[in-house]
Amino acid sequence: MEEYNMEGMTYLAVAYFGMIVAVGIWTYTVVQRSRHLSQRMDALENAVKTYSPEFAEE
Amino acid sequence: MKMKTGEVLLLFGFIGIATTMILAFLWAPSVSIKAFESPAAQRIFYWHVPSAWAAFIAFGVLFVGSAGWIFKRSELMWRLHIAGSEAGLATGLMTVWSGCVWGAAEWGTPWDWTDVRLNTFGLLTLLAIYLVLGRSSQPDGVETRDTFAAFGLYGFVLVPVTYIATRIWSIRHPGPVIGTGEGSSLNADMGLVLLFGTISFTLLIAGHMLTSMRITSFEQRIETLQKRLDGGV
Repeated sequence: MEEYNMEGMTYLAVAYFGMIVAVGIWTYTVVQRSRHLSQRMDALENAVKTYSPEFAEE
Repeated sequence: MKMKTGEVLLLFGFIGIATTMILAFLWAPSVSIKAFESPAAQRIFYWHVPSAWAAFIAFGVLFVGSAGWIFKRSELMWRLHIAGSEAGLATGLMTVWSGCVWGAAEWGTPWDWTDVRLNTFGLLTLLAIYLVLGRSSQPDGVETRDTFAAFGLYGFVLVPVTYIATRIWSIRHPGPVIGTGEGSSLNADMGLVLLFGTISFTLLIAGHMLTSMRITSFEQRIETLQKRLDGGV
């Protein structure tokens, strides 16, 4: 069994954990923004269709 | 809700980089305790190298998008420019952060201002910060796009300089361990984890760029629709 320097491994674990959390938050934010904008666009397209059907067909 | 291609890639990429982290900790072999000041910290290599690889992909996309916008005035190319700059910023920060963590453990300092590779890569990341923050603070228009695209185009020159930096000026950053033409100094297990990490980061960054392009497309469409509605339909 290899010996590890626990202080070094703890330090590394914190650094890795920080990065994976940061990437997770970034990824979640991007996906949520995409879905939110998709819903907003659908709502606007419906509104435009109601008031100006010829534009919606462009 | 049905998942889009970008979201599927993001999911697999994220699972992949999390798995890479676990493999790096629990499965990858340790390096020689004589060769490194901090052998444990070397395990960050499995994150650092793939994130740098993903950053180069992102900066390549930024270059193509910038050139495409300048020469073709294509909306698709502008979306590529935005996706490349955002992905370049994220992966650039991941690379710099993981490098600083390793440098602090191995060298006793997180940054060396005399090392060419560190500084050219740092400049690339700063360029991405400028492009992302600048775009969000300026009104969209041809002049604004031209300015940012020119920075994206000329900034790309830092990519080959960064790539060859440790081959020409070996100061502090370790030299290449793969693709050296003299055989790899990595053993098979290390190479496998590195390959897995590289594929995972590539999937993640591809997913991010596709989703980013989709977001920009939505923003442009929403702006057009909003103008139409506000125009007294």
